[in-house]
Amino acid sequence: MNIDYSQETPLIAGRLDLAQIEELIAQPMDTKPDRKYYIALSISVTALLIGAVSLGLTFYYGIGLWGNNQPVGWAFEIVNFVFWVGIGHAGTLISAILFLLRQKWRTGIARFAEAMTIFAVMCAGIFPAIHTGRPWMDGYLLPYPNQHGLWVNFTSPLLWDVFAVTTYFTVSLVFWYVGLIPDFGSMRDRTTSKIKKTIYSIFSLGWRHSNRHWSHYEKAYMLLAGFATPLVLSVHTIVSFDFAVSIIPGWHTTIFPPYFVAGAIFSGFAMVVTVLIFVRKIFDLQNIITIDHLEKMNKVILSTGMMVGYAYSMEFFIAWYSGVQAESFLFLSRAFGPYAWAYWIMVSCNVLIPQLFWFRKIRRSIPLMLIIVIFVNVGMWFERFVITVTSLNRDFLPSSWAYFTPTMYDIGLLIGSFGFFFTLVILFTKSLPVVSISEVKAVADGAQPTHHGGAYHE
Amino acid sequence: MSQTDFHYQKKELPANLTKFSLVVLAIGVVLSLIAFFVDRERALFSYLVTYMMIVSIAVGSLFIVALEYIAGADWSTPIRRIPEFFSRLLPLLFILVIPLLVFNHDLFHWAHKEAVAEDKILQGKAPYLNITFFVIRTFVFIGLWSLFYWVLIRNSRKQDTTKDQNLTTKNIRLSAIFILVFAISITFTAIDFMMSLEPHWFSTIYGVYFFSGIVVAALAAITLAVIMLKERGYFSPWMTDDHLFSLGALIFAFINFWAYIAFSQYLLIWYADLPEETFWFLTRWNGNWAYLSILLIIVQFLVPYFALLTQPSKKDPKRLKFISIWLLFAHFIDLFWLIMPNMNSMKDGYVFSWIDFVFPIAGVGLIILVFIISYKKDNLLPIGDPKLKRGMDFHL
Amino acid sequence: MNNDKNLYCIAATFNTPDEIINAAKKVSGAGYTHFDVNTPYPVHGMDDAMKLKPSKLGFVTLVMGLAGASIALLFMYWSLSIDYPLVIGGKPYFALPAFIPVTFEMTVLLATVSTVVAMIMLFFQLPNNKHPLHDTKYMKSVSHDKYGILIETNDDKFDEKEVENFLKNLKPLNIEYIYYPPEETYSIFQPKFLLLLAGIALVVSGGTYFSLNKLMFMTPFNWMMDQAKLIPQKGSELFEDGFGMRKPVTGTVARGFVPYPYKGQVNPTEVLANPFLPTKENIALGKAKYDIYCSPCHGYFADGDSRLRGQFPNPPTLHSQRARDFSDGMFYHIITNGQNIMPSYESQITRDERWAIVNYIRVLQRAKNASDADLTEMNKEAGSNVAN
Repeated sequence: MNIDYSQETPLIAGRLDLAQIEELIAQPMDTKPDRKYYIALSISVTALLIGAVSLGLTFYYGIGLWGNNQPVGWAFEIVNFVFWVGIGHAGTLISAILFLLRQKWRTGIARFAEAMTIFAVMCAGIFPAIHTGRPWMDGYLLPYPNQHGLWVNFTSPLLWDVFAVTTYFTVSLVFWYVGLIPDFGSMRDRTTSKIKKTIYSIFSLGWRHSNRHWSHYEKAYMLLAGFATPLVLSVHTIVSFDFAVSIIPGWHTTIFPPYFVAGAIFSGFAMVVTVLIFVRKIFDLQNIITIDHLEKMNKVILSTGMMVGYAYSMEFFIAWYSGVQAESFLFLSRAFGPYAWAYWIMVSCNVLIPQLFWFRKIRRSIPLMLIIVIFVNVGMWFERFVITVTSLNRDFLPSSWAYFTPTMYDIGLLIGSFGFFFTLVILFTKSLPVVSISEVKAVADGAQPTHHGGAYHE
Repeated sequence: MSQTDFHYQKKELPANLTKFSLVVLAIGVVLSLIAFFVDRERALFSYLVTYMMIVSIAVGSLFIVALEYIAGADWSTPIRRIPEFFSRLLPLLFILVIPLLVFNHDLFHWAHKEAVAEDKILQGKAPYLNITFFVIRTFVFIGLWSLFYWVLIRNSRKQDTTKDQNLTTKNIRLSAIFILVFAISITFTAIDFMMSLEPHWFSTIYGVYFFSGIVVAALAAITLAVIMLKERGYFSPWMTDDHLFSLGALIFAFINFWAYIAFSQYLLIWYADLPEETFWFLTRWNGNWAYLSILLIIVQFLVPYFALLTQPSKKDPKRLKFISIWLLFAHFIDLFWLIMPNMNSMKDGYVFSWIDFVFPIAGVGLIILVFIISYKKDNLLPIGDPKLKRGMDFHL
Repeated sequence: MNNDKNLYCIAATFNTPDEIINAAKKVSGAGYTHFDVNTPYPVHGMDDAMKLKPSKLGFVTLVMGLAGASIALLFMYWSLSIDYPLVIGGKPYFALPAFIPVTFEMTVLLATVSTVVAMIMLFFQLPNNKHPLHDTKYMKSVSHDKYGILIETNDDKFDEKEVENFLKNLKPLNIEYIYYPPEETYSIFQPKFLLLLAGIALVVSGGTYFSLNKLMFMTPFNWMMDQAKLIPQKGSELFEDGFGMRKPVTGTVARGFVPYPYKGQVNPTEVLANPFLPTKENIALGKAKYDIYCSPCHGYFADGDSRLRGQFPNPPTLHSQRARDFSDGMFYHIITNGQNIMPSYESQITRDERWAIVNYIRVLQRAKNASDADLTEMNKEAGSNVAN
């Protein structure tokens, strides 16, 4: 391969001009959905309904319907929660961290990834709420002056979760909306339908593309990115605290916070790539979401996959090195005990298979990439399963050891969460610009003054 | 102004800098030797702190070089030679590490046969913590670092004359492998030389903790060198605030990362409150060590955090220079805090001794000297690098 | 109406970013202050070309971030250390490391949300869909792919002819005059609007009432309470005798049980002798138990002054001659067996405590019925100088 390093790789292929970019991005919203769209939607809604039924039955009969037992008190629902929160990390990572690192290739994918963040956090939020057993009492999770005179336990990581997830959801939503305002403005000015125009006007807040506004807007975007970055880290860190502050072997280990964050980025990117592969194909966005972008994301997947692998090995090594019997037993039990199958699925999907991304050909091949990222998604779900279930199923007392088997309600809820997620994603693709119009315009060829940044030299 | 017609002309470093570094090094070495004869154990522990400091800057610099290659960053290309110069310290580690290996009995509790014989846990760790394996590991790691230093920097220098873009491609691949090696090697270096000083204690995040400190130290050293050279006109006229801002922002990010890792480790151990883990922090809360523990938070996190919080402060050369020196000092304190309380005689609190101050003097002299030697052999700018022009034209 | 009065601004559009930067420099250089540049995306270097000051938005973020941090910390400190202190996991009340996560989240939440709100409401003065620029050709082109600059009529230097010539010299694509939209008049007292208001009021108040007074007290299911289980003091169909509580097997004897053979007898006093001497400790025990079990009816000093305010008949005083003549055994028997409407206290008060109560009653009786001779005796004990 011969790359010219003296030139930046173009962010938008095909030398599109501003009007063409806008046309391309607005296309899905201007056209009526076709049959394929309805087929996709009906599949995801079916999955959603399966989940809704499982959820309804869970509400009615209680969480005894699940497979949770003693000592495996945390199982599928916690696994799903951690899985979805993890998926939700890619969006803010792409929009905030890559923004601060000035990785301009993020512009093509940031909007979509942010939307996925919001939907994933919505999916995640369901699980702890129903895991309380009586979800109608979840109001007690918030510190409000009540007739019992009691306050919530601020020293509990489960409560930190309440704050972390709600803050993360709110900030992601705000961040997303701020990014959408100029696009609503553009949509308002190009649409011919009166109803659409009213809706876009309301959401655009009367945006005028004024540079006096852009100046504050860019500052605000910078500030939001600056806050969102540590926020992303904090959310999965706090999720890891749920496990790590306890004294259960396999849960209590100091590497959990960075390890969970790396895993979250890993799984989040895999999910974003999975969805983007379809989106760029269906909506003809190959020029905006280029193969270069996907390759870069695959590199991130490769590197975070290695970080996760590093954490697996560190845990194993220190479990042996510590000389604590319970620790070393647990790790042997993970790898060779009753859940060895789950452990090896996790290792092969998360550490071994992504190694294929060392090859440039594979990083740039759509079908192979799709297979690998789906494996990563599966592997990351199993990682949370391994952490949660295998640490509990053989606890300190051998007399209470028990094997966890999920019931159909557990599986129904898992399917339902995917249905919920993809239903929202599918609806999103037709109702809002899936790529940021103004940001992509800003990085198009010839969009910036030729004396780029000349103002600094005056 | 335009850089299309930019021609690099080498500008020599001031001659008295060499003299200065030689004098400092000589004084440091003499005092260090005296220290060794006065109190060997104390001197070894003190020496270990300085040794780890040099490891931090040397390996950290090579990591920054590799990071630039794999991230495809262009802003740092014109200053890439600075970390390359610092990483020349790596082959020297072969010599520097010898006192630690020879006198391992003074440093490491697990090297005491009679102690291991009575201790079940240490017996369990013996397959890892034994002198033979320890020495092999140490030399393998230093060997790997030197090897990667040698090939990466050779390719980079070759490019100065050949301007061959394939060398960049080669270095990108090498960097990817180096970062793997780096992750594993610094983790086990940290475990071997610092965590195993207290052989009963363990923490899975330890390698990451050391990594976060390494990067801060390396970035601080690089920034300091860049600003000192910039002040004397070595980087004119192309260097702008934006280059400094990028350095400042990276430092800011990594002090936050350090704080995050340090807090995670502390919180988890404090919260679970298991005796086999907490005693390590309790030792660092004994007597006047408590002041150092608090000081560490202030010095390594709070002060630089607020100093670099706002956007203008990240590109203010004076402030950056000050913070760079400050952070080098902070990383030194961090290593001091990790290493010194493990001395048996200081478990209950720090006992002052002049010995602690002589090794850093030698270290500073050595680092400056190595920098000067590297500078003489090399161009200050990687003039053959295809990304150089992009890097010079870099704007936010 | 005069056309000038209606004019909002004169605007020009350009094709390339270079032209617009140049135009902005010229306009700001000519001393205009009320002008604006509209571009479909932020153009680099425009802030300097327009001579805009750096955004002050950061101050809002800083202040609100600090506020978030301190509010969170103070609240956690107040609720867990002052209002309802509770030891959790052996940690101190003010467990600072454990408060850091929530403090951090609150900092981020308050800082980001207020930054965005301040930006939109204060800095942008949005939402504003009635701005004269909306629905103009100019707006449509600048939100699409053109770059526009406009000079407002309220600029001090504004002069229609001069501005038009100035803009024309910049060689724009075209020049547009933008006018204020005609004012629309609204009347609040329209029946439709009032009806709408009433409707909203009804829905809001009804919704509030329903959710606060009804919804909050609804439980979707009560399986846990309704399950088949035995409830103390309640009947049950599970057992033949219909009782929910089980009786012990006939002949069961509780541990440490000593039978009381005089149950139901009127006066078995001869055989019952007090095994305890009235020591200080014993009387203290008696007082404690008396105050708990006896005093509600008999009064603290055995005067028969009940604190039950007539809810239960008052017992007679224990200072009557008859009561003082009771033997210790008689008191013991009455406590154990009950008398008249006084129930048996056998199950509440242990045997030793019963004897202690008896001793205490003796103390009360003695104290309430002191004679002059007692006084002299006491004086003697206390020392003769107090006697007179």
